[in-house]
Amino acid sequence: MSYIEFKNVNKEYKMGEVTIKALDNTNFNIEKGELVVIVGPSGAGKTTTLNILGGMDNVTSGEVIVDGKQVNKLNNKELIKYRREDIGFIFQFYNLVQNLTAVENVELATQICKDSLDPETIIEKVGLKERKKNFPSQLSGGEQQRVAIARAIAKNPKLLLCDEPTGALDYKTGKQILKLLQDTSRKENMTVIIITHNTALAPMADKVIHFKNGRAEKIETNENPTSIEEIEW
Amino acid sequence: MAFLGVGFFAGMRAASPDMISTIDNYFDKQNVYDIQVLSTLGLTNDDIEAIKQVEGVQKAYGEYSEDVLINYEDTEIVTKVLTIDDINKPILIEGRMPENKSECLVEKAFCSRTGKKIGDNLIIEEANGSIIKEKEVNIVGTMNSPLYVSRQRDTSKLGSGMVSYNMYLPKESFDSEVYTVIYIELANSKQMVTDSQEYNDYVQEVTTKIEEIKAQRETARYDEVKALAQKELEEGEAKLEEEKVTADNKLKEAENEIIEGERKLNSAEITLNNKSKEAEQKFKLAEENIKTAKAKIEEEEENFKTQEQNANAQIEILNKQKQGLQINLQSINTNIEELQTKLDKINESLNNNNLTQEEIANLQAQKENIENTLINIKAQKSGVEAGILNINNGLEQIQNGIKEGKEKLNNAKTTLENNEEELNRTKELTNKQLESAKQEIDTSKKQLQEGRKTFEINKAEYEEKIKDAEKELADAKRKIQEIEHPTWYILDRNSNSGYSGFMQDTKSIENLGRVFPIVFFVIATLISLTSMTRMVEEQRVQIGTMKALGYNKAQIASKYLVYSGLACLIGGSIGMIIGFETLPRIIWMMYSMMYVIPNFIASFNVYFAILGLGLASVCIIGASIYTVLKIVGDTPAQLMRPKAPKAGKRILLERIPFIWKHLSFSRKVTVRNIFRYKKRVFMTIVGIAGSTALILTGFGIKDAISDILIKQYENVYNYDMQISLKSDLEETDVENFIKTLEEKEEINKIAEANMTSGTLVNGENEEAVQIIIAKDEKINELIHLSDRKTKEEVQLEEGKIAITDKVAELLEVKKGDTIVLKDADGKENSVIISDIVENYIYHYVYMPKSLYEQLYGEYDTNVLFTQNNVENEQEELASKLLKESNVNTVSLSSNIENVMDDMMRNLNYVVVILIVSAGMLTFVVLYNLSNINISERIRELASLKVLGFYDKEVYDYVTRETAILTAIGIIFGLIGGYFLSIFIVKTCEINVLRFGQEISVLSYIYSVAITVIFTVIVNIVTYFALKKIDMIESLKSIE
Repeated sequence: MSYIEFKNVNKEYKMGEVTIKALDNTNFNIEKGELVVIVGPSGAGKTTTLNILGGMDNVTSGEVIVDGKQVNKLNNKELIKYRREDIGFIFQFYNLVQNLTAVENVELATQICKDSLDPETIIEKVGLKERKKNFPSQLSGGEQQRVAIARAIAKNPKLLLCDEPTGALDYKTGKQILKLLQDTSRKENMTVIIITHNTALAPMADKVIHFKNGRAEKIETNENPTSIEEIEW
Repeated sequence: MAFLGVGFFAGMRAASPDMISTIDNYFDKQNVYDIQVLSTLGLTNDDIEAIKQVEGVQKAYGEYSEDVLINYEDTEIVTKVLTIDDINKPILIEGRMPENKSECLVEKAFCSRTGKKIGDNLIIEEANGSIIKEKEVNIVGTMNSPLYVSRQRDTSKLGSGMVSYNMYLPKESFDSEVYTVIYIELANSKQMVTDSQEYNDYVQEVTTKIEEIKAQRETARYDEVKALAQKELEEGEAKLEEEKVTADNKLKEAENEIIEGERKLNSAEITLNNKSKEAEQKFKLAEENIKTAKAKIEEEEENFKTQEQNANAQIEILNKQKQGLQINLQSINTNIEELQTKLDKINESLNNNNLTQEEIANLQAQKENIENTLINIKAQKSGVEAGILNINNGLEQIQNGIKEGKEKLNNAKTTLENNEEELNRTKELTNKQLESAKQEIDTSKKQLQEGRKTFEINKAEYEEKIKDAEKELADAKRKIQEIEHPTWYILDRNSNSGYSGFMQDTKSIENLGRVFPIVFFVIATLISLTSMTRMVEEQRVQIGTMKALGYNKAQIASKYLVYSGLACLIGGSIGMIIGFETLPRIIWMMYSMMYVIPNFIASFNVYFAILGLGLASVCIIGASIYTVLKIVGDTPAQLMRPKAPKAGKRILLERIPFIWKHLSFSRKVTVRNIFRYKKRVFMTIVGIAGSTALILTGFGIKDAISDILIKQYENVYNYDMQISLKSDLEETDVENFIKTLEEKEEINKIAEANMTSGTLVNGENEEAVQIIIAKDEKINELIHLSDRKTKEEVQLEEGKIAITDKVAELLEVKKGDTIVLKDADGKENSVIISDIVENYIYHYVYMPKSLYEQLYGEYDTNVLFTQNNVENEQEELASKLLKESNVNTVSLSSNIENVMDDMMRNLNYVVVILIVSAGMLTFVVLYNLSNINISERIRELASLKVLGFYDKEVYDYVTRETAILTAIGIIFGLIGGYFLSIFIVKTCEINVLRFGQEISVLSYIYSVAITVIFTVIVNIVTYFALKKIDMIESLKSIE
């Protein structure tokens, strides 16, 4: 029994008369503490998978089990609770609350969780001690993404889901962010799933899942993941 | 928004003109008068002719009307009977028009109250001087009268003092020489809209012309009435005189007869007396004669007795003599015999021859001797015998004498007795005669006395009658003297309370229509502004693309302007149509609960249509231009990129750590968010404030007006009943009446006053007022005079007047000023104002008795104010008092309150309109804003959801702001509403009323509650909108 099990998951979107199959009988397993990178072209079902894992979307059929919890059977309220307690999300465009300072954005997350971490510590951890009182608009993209990561991990989630976390960032900053994620995974033994269309990132992961046409085409396991610093692209 | 704004604007603005045109149409159709003329002495055909000559008068109709009582079960229903004619035509609802003089039309309400149906008969109670000939009328139909568009009816001198229902009878049913009223139809009025400036000017113009003939007609009527009265008086006088003469003659005759009778009686009496005296005298004489005769007889008797005695003695003597003689005779006779015997013996001896001659001769000689002796003796005997005879004769004579005497005496006696008897008889007879004569006289006397008595009575009666007649004549004369110069009252439609009430209501609606749509417009504009902003913002990429493709600013802008313009036009047009159709109809429906006016006309008012659309266009297109221009100025590159979310900012409050630190995290977020979207915050506050203000205004208006009554009857009038007395009472009557009132248990306090009307003049301004002249200080207990500002009690000052606040304000006078008081006769006096007192309904001048006497002369009480003990039996008391001969009308404060309450009820409709529209406003504003809010912050909200915020928490996150903004909006709204309601109350305020300017706490609470309810509704909608936010879609990376 894996930590995360994706069993025969189908997801269909109805766009008017056309039915689009986003996930087609997808199966994969993820173990606890793994850093997983999901790669694949646009429209391959990466984000859909992430959304389903994050409890933001439901499946048409199939089973999704996270830490023994059958996510696909949760009702709306339980889903929210699941998101609230078990999931940390990181987006391409950070999605920070503009009206809150860095530390406040973190606080926003921590105040709703039971066993959250101290926002100040987290901010410090992501290296924004000096800028914690700044508003998102006063921060650079990387800094903003750090705040987003801080916000996500401050909840002390079981699962950290990152959708193209470096998509809007330059190479260097992106690298720093990925480093942060990798470190978090390693240090906190947190399960981290990163979506990217940059296959070059694959070596950093414990497990790489290749998506194509709504299926997990290939699942590779890296026995010795490379540190992000060593990866160039 | 254009729909709402224009619709509301058009509807509200059109409502008043629609109402006016409806009533105008109704009045035109029913041919309602333009001017009516009333006169205190009635109106004649000559008056009509004269009025017809006035330029501008199309037709003049003389009409009758009278208040009558109709008996229904135990109650009397005061009914006003009007004439069916070609003017003020009633509208037939059911049945048919009357065809003869005993057929009538009644109000439908009358039927429902009495249960009478068409075909039933009504009995009109007989009344003195009634001009209605018919006593029993048949209902042939029900109607509505255009003269009584409201539910209110006229006042009446009958019954409760209020007409309950109207009734129409044909003209033939009336019998009166004079008309009650002349209704005038003007030549061109039909083409004009009633109460329009044009119409009012026209009516005023004709009125002025009628005013010109007024004096002349008044005088003519006065002369006529006076002449008629004079003639009647003269006739009366003549008749009286005539009657007097005849009566006098008759009396005199009767008196003469009596006097004659008396005279006759007297003479008869005298004659009788004379006669009886005479008779008495005669009788006396006779009696005396008889007495003398009796005395004579007695004397004679005595004499006779003596004579008799003498005679008897003579007789005795004679008898003795006779006896002696007889004895002589006897002896003689014996001698004779002896002699004879001797002679015989001799003779025998002689004859015996034997005898010697001597013997013979002796014998012879013896014989001879004897013979001689014998002859002697014989002679003796004869002597004796003669003596005896003599004696016998004497005796006989005496006896005869006696007998004769006796006889004579007896005869005399008998005669006397007879005489006496006769006398007695005569006396008796005479007496009897006299007696009967006397009796007769007595009877006649008695009769005469009775006659005299009757005569006296008759005379007294007659004199009384004459006196009465004279008094009557004198009265008539006095009345002629007192015939007041008639006054014409030339009134326009405004004197019709239903009409003027309606017009006032249309004015209120107009005022509302002026203010409210503006509020709506402002808000609609704001909302359009944000909507447009939102739209433009949403399409900024598109704009950027277009710009990049080479479209110029104007082209891009025009696209949005055309869009907004079209939206504005379409929305506005639809709004207009709906607004014109529905809002006036709704308002009309509300008012039709108060007014009976058929056929509402919802007209399409081009002016308001263009104005509304224009305003809406200006606002909305203006808002579009503003937003579009702001954007198209940017470079395409800027536009292509999503607009950076509004940057977070520190707010001022954070610099006050004391407060900031005490706020919870979410509070902080909220506070900061509030200061982040200033435009939205502003809009929300304005929107909420606006609607709160509207709602509060609605309640405020209601408060202001319903306040009047409460204040007037609780703060000012402490009396429960106002009794107006008949005008011709003597002072003692009044005093006595008051005494009887004072004795009544039900009545607590009484104050006397004189109530009259007048005008206060200050320069150009004039206001009609009621003048209350207080007899004494008691009035202060029943009418509470207090300074409006300080609320301190005010006493009337000698030689000064107190006036009520509203009139003071209208005339711009203050305490201590001098003002001109014009009385009903137009006499002007300058008086000093001692105080300005609190009052709410109508204008009053309070004046002490002393000043009145100084200005106008004698004071008399004509009104009594009372405070009563019983609560429930007031009606009974009032109706009891109304029956008193001294009482003219009795009005109960509680009744007035009821009537006014009814009037006030319709104000609730205004409040309802306001609340509904304000509610709509709140809803639209909040909904729109929260939509904008959500769409602007959708990413943020989606992030929160992703973070695992429960729906409730997301909702709170958003609505906490709304709540705070709503609260702020409400506060502003309450303040704004306070001023708005004051403003509206001022604009709506009727001259004679002072509206209260205080809004009750309850109204504030209601306003807040209603706003909150609307906010909550919007929030519930928001809640679902938030729930629906799709995290994935919203957070999708912008590609």
